[in-house]
Amino acid sequence: MSDNRSLIRDFILHELLNGEQADELEFDTNLLVSGLVDSLGMVRLIAHLEEKLSVKIPPEDVTIENFISIDVMADYLKTVQTS
Amino acid sequence: MHPVFDNSHLAQKAEAYDFAREHLQSDMVAADRAATFPRDLWIACARQGIQGLAAPEDHGGKGDVDLLTSMLVMEGLGKGCRDNGLCFALNAQMWTVQLPIVDFGSDEQKAKYLPRFISGEIIGCHAVTEPNHGSDAFSMETHAEKVEGGYRLNGTKRLVSLAPIADVALLFATINPELGKWGVTAFLVDLHAEGISVSPPQEKMGLRTVPIGEIHLKDHFLAESQRLGPEGAGASISNHSLEIERCSILASQLGAMERQLDESVARAKSRKQFGKPIGQFQSVSNRLADMKLRLETTRLLLYQVAWLKERKQPAMMESAMLKLHLSESFLASSMDAIRTFGGDGYLTETEVERDLRDAVGGVLYAGTSAIQRNIIASMLGL
Repeated sequence: MSDNRSLIRDFILHELLNGEQADELEFDTNLLVSGLVDSLGMVRLIAHLEEKLSVKIPPEDVTIENFISIDVMADYLKTVQTS
Repeated sequence: MHPVFDNSHLAQKAEAYDFAREHLQSDMVAADRAATFPRDLWIACARQGIQGLAAPEDHGGKGDVDLLTSMLVMEGLGKGCRDNGLCFALNAQMWTVQLPIVDFGSDEQKAKYLPRFISGEIIGCHAVTEPNHGSDAFSMETHAEKVEGGYRLNGTKRLVSLAPIADVALLFATINPELGKWGVTAFLVDLHAEGISVSPPQEKMGLRTVPIGEIHLKDHFLAESQRLGPEGAGASISNHSLEIERCSILASQLGAMERQLDESVARAKSRKQFGKPIGQFQSVSNRLADMKLRLETTRLLLYQVAWLKERKQPAMMESAMLKLHLSESFLASSMDAIRTFGGDGYLTETEVERDLRDAVGGVLYAGTSAIQRNIIASMLGL
């Protein structure tokens, strides 16, 4: 799980935020309230996770309950990886 | 030998072309002027199994047809049918209403709607755009307030293709405006129900045979069973179907571009000025070469997106490039076709200028060209 959290954080920080705002991006940061990840950013993040983890994230799973923070995403990815 | 498709694929494209040439012809000048929806041709398409391309066999569809074949069929249809509006309308229902139900609907929703869409008994539309939210679609204001047993919907949807004649809308509303895209939820709405009114068709520049209008919701109660997919998954569901929609709507436009080029080449060979065919003047032949280049580069982008989606791979950037390139190419080639026909191309009765009016919508709907460029830039990490 910690690997997945780092995978997610690294992509957001380096690919979506261009290496900036590192202080604001904690594992429990609310990505919705902070506005750190926009709609297109989320599409890119999902594509990245699918490729790196060899998993399929169904569109109907892309909800706030599964993607509100890095911690929550990592928990969700565990369920996809084991299913 | 075709570099991508085998003969069975190409035969289905040819069959669709022949069907359209034989059964989808009408007085298009009159239909366009009067903005008449060709319901008889819609039913003819249903009998041919066109709407069934986007549904599994157990709900009356042609479940064994892959996306690449469906795309080729819609390309053949677009080449053979001079009514670009009809092809647009077919694609709109098939890929933005039927397909989301196939992919995300409950068994009950599939049984309730799919057979009737496929038979032509009912018509479906896709409602996203609002008075204050066009390109910024997911900031929508139409509100689905949670109440006992379901939702109460209030708001307005506009620029909805097919709305004035549709029976059902796949309609997007937010369960909480503060959640932004994460509140967007998809619903299947009966347009004849209490609390809903639909505007008469609104006049527009092109694609005039497909009516467009507004949907007004006032305290419309919707049972929870009419929600498509989970709460908050609406944006993701919409994006999913958009990538596939772009393949097929644009496939029909590609077919129209091929027809347009064939007719322009024939004109350049037959029309003589200064003692020789106008195609022998480089100012004319260069334009036709540009039209051919636009056609073939678009075709490659289209087949690439269809190939990716057939393999369930993401194609966000590829479909944005396709949408941008095809819509702008159809617009440019439509202007070149008029120039090739000269003054005759300016006359409505020759049916050359109609393609230009139809093409303008393509750079606006389903994400403007500016939005497509934004998507491409974002996917490049900019």
